[in-house]
Amino acid sequence: MAGLLKKTTGLVGLAVSQNPHERLRILYSKILASLQTMPQDAAYRKYTEQLVNDRLSHVTAETDVEKLEKKINCGQIEEVIFQAECELALSRKMSEWKPWEPLVEEAPPNQWKWPI
Amino acid sequence: MASTAATRTAAAASRVVKPILSRDLDEAKRRVRELYRAWYREVPNTVAMFQLDISIRQGRNKVREMFDKNKHVTDPRVIDMLVIKGKMELQETIHVWKQKTHIMRYFHESEEPRSADFLSKFYKGHDP
Amino acid sequence: MAASLVRLVRGGLGRSFNVLNRSVSVIQQQSRLQSSDVKPTVRPKDAVAHNHLVAFGEYVAEMMPKYIQQVQVTCYNELEVMIHPDGVIPVLTFLRDHTNGQFRNLIDLTAVDIPTRQNRFEIVYNLLSLRYNSRIRVKTYTDELTPVDSAVSVHKAANWYEREVWDMFGIFFANHPDLRRILTDYGFEGHPFRKDFPLSGYVEVRYDDELKRVVAEPVELAQEFRKFDLNTPWEVFPAYREPKEAPPTLEAGDTSTEKK
Repeated sequence: MAGLLKKTTGLVGLAVSQNPHERLRILYSKILASLQTMPQDAAYRKYTEQLVNDRLSHVTAETDVEKLEKKINCGQIEEVIFQAECELALSRKMSEWKPWEPLVEEAPPNQWKWPI
Repeated sequence: MASTAATRTAAAASRVVKPILSRDLDEAKRRVRELYRAWYREVPNTVAMFQLDISIRQGRNKVREMFDKNKHVTDPRVIDMLVIKGKMELQETIHVWKQKTHIMRYFHESEEPRSADFLSKFYKGHDP
Repeated sequence: MAASLVRLVRGGLGRSFNVLNRSVSVIQQQSRLQSSDVKPTVRPKDAVAHNHLVAFGEYVAEMMPKYIQQVQVTCYNELEVMIHPDGVIPVLTFLRDHTNGQFRNLIDLTAVDIPTRQNRFEIVYNLLSLRYNSRIRVKTYTDELTPVDSAVSVHKAANWYEREVWDMFGIFFANHPDLRRILTDYGFEGHPFRKDFPLSGYVEVRYDDELKRVVAEPVELAQEFRKFDLNTPWEVFPAYREPKEAPPTLEAGDTSTEKK
């Protein structure tokens, strides 16, 4: 198995993942769990769930890494893992910020008027 | 929803502003005193380090003068901003990022008092 | 709710688009008459890229209605997101970490001074997404005394940019790790990029032979400051031109749909 794996991703600081399916499955289930805490109608939850479920279905359906990369179409599988890690961190921060609430404050009049 | 209502009432009462560092005037004053103390202690070091041709007393008087220049300020946010700038200057002085010329700029040694009356202006030359 | 918050204001731009649409329709009408009436100076419109940006702008605004006040696409196909100053870190983090954005590079951070406004400074963040090869501009506002959250925790590149903005405009960034001057000399007073900073500055510097060092003195101009006529003969904001009254023949025809 180790012989079949590629030696490098060609990207600095990004090591080849030994078991990308497992890793992605864990990350995606964690993201989904973190999204559960948000209200149902939050746009962030809706779109992210859609996106994550889509990728998760690809991960469960496809066992070959190269075909999976083509299906997800977002770079190498290590990059996809990195994106999932970022999304997980973001979703945890999001439930703290609650950005689906109404606007904090309207801009003062003529703030965005240009030219003045 | 409650928060927006609260902000609206608060906005109606007075414009709510975000504090820089201090929440009220006393806290701002405390920061000013801290900064003054730090400058006061730093003056002997500065005089020795930069080999300035002034006495320590002169240096401390100058620090006092610089602080007194802004004593009319009462807005805590303005005070905070001045304190921040003062701290930055102190840092520049302590780390000797400044040079002698920058320190001596506070003393305005080379500046001559501008002539005010007509005749002395006339003697001095064409400058207005 | 979200839809009402998404003010996809094409503002003056939208209006100019309408003008352009009208002129395009004029061209089309005329092209029936004479086929070779193409203006080489008019920038061709890239409808596909424009629609992409509009869609992404609506997407972002729907995601974070709490902070985003306005989204617009300029006439040069640049997506601009106007946010409340509280939302600097959430919005930048969202754009960086969200899988559909991945704006991981902070290309530029700067400020604009418009003294007539209530919040005179506009802070501009330019972001680049290498993954999707697209750019976005995030704008927020502040005044002289309101601190803005530092973006260093999100983008390391913001460190020196924020120092520059602090030095040039005097905008204070809260939680910045190392906020100090970067461009001006030690002992320099004032913020040179503010519109109320005099063009000649406050001090002039010379070497003094008696004191054996450089001294700074209040600037003295032999001549009073001259007022130059700096207006360019060219039109500066052609895209923001107020729409002229369209000829009534066109109003009756095809342009009644785009009224907003």
